[in-house]
Amino acid sequence: MKLARKKLTASVPSFAMGDIAFLLLIFFVILARVQDDSHVQWDPAILPDIKMIGAPLASVAIDSGYKTYLNGEEISNDQLTPRLNAILGETPAGERNISFKVHREAQAKHFEPVIQSIGEAGGDLIHILEPEATEP
Amino acid sequence: MKLRRGQLLVDPPASSSSDIAFILIIFFLVCASVQPETGLPQFLPRTEAKEEKKEQSKNLEVSITPSNIVLNGSPLKLPEFSKRILVALQAKTRPQDKVVVVKSTPDTPYDQWIRVSQAIDNAGGTLTLELESERTIIVD
Repeated sequence: MKLARKKLTASVPSFAMGDIAFLLLIFFVILARVQDDSHVQWDPAILPDIKMIGAPLASVAIDSGYKTYLNGEEISNDQLTPRLNAILGETPAGERNISFKVHREAQAKHFEPVIQSIGEAGGDLIHILEPEATEP
Repeated sequence: MKLRRGQLLVDPPASSSSDIAFILIIFFLVCASVQPETGLPQFLPRTEAKEEKKEQSKNLEVSITPSNIVLNGSPLKLPEFSKRILVALQAKTRPQDKVVVVKSTPDTPYDQWIRVSQAIDNAGGTLTLELESERTIIVD
């Protein structure tokens, strides 16, 4: 007599799926943050009557040590124009927004050559500033 | 006689907690990425070498130093400068005459520079920078 063997079902344990998804997300969030410039130390200048701005295509910053950064990566002024040209490509005028973050104590010798480089790349410059607090 | 009912352990369903965590992370990521920034847009004329010297001399010239602002030779403080530049630019009708040539000393702080820049912008002027270019001359 032949005994019928009971069929075994093999299921993938899905208990740890949530943890795996969570770790993957953390991984991608850290990767994404590498490209931003939140690690650049700078204090914005304070000015009255400033507007909200749209999303820029690139971010140029001068930190408290007067070093220049493009999208969070330290860059020399000579390399800035070709790198910006590559980022801006054939983007039409009016949409070539480049945010410019300058430490408030930086001097003209630090920021004017950078402005010149952005101008040479045909970028639309947006100075990132802090609005002046109004008296209640 | 009263019979004691055995207490049942009820676990909340945990199968959807990973979905909830995922949605929460997406929500906070989107919130963080769309945080608005405030700033001052500035139109920059394309950088070019000085050619039409006669044409440029008609434009207003502003020199910025850490202590004051010089408009066509007169040293001024910022409130006075704002008024004077407004009057000077209102007198000009052609867009090319509204170009203001700005020259700063190397030690001019950004804070001072951006305030002057905003005053020119508010007065309807177009700021252009005059930078000293470096040139190496080899002498035999």
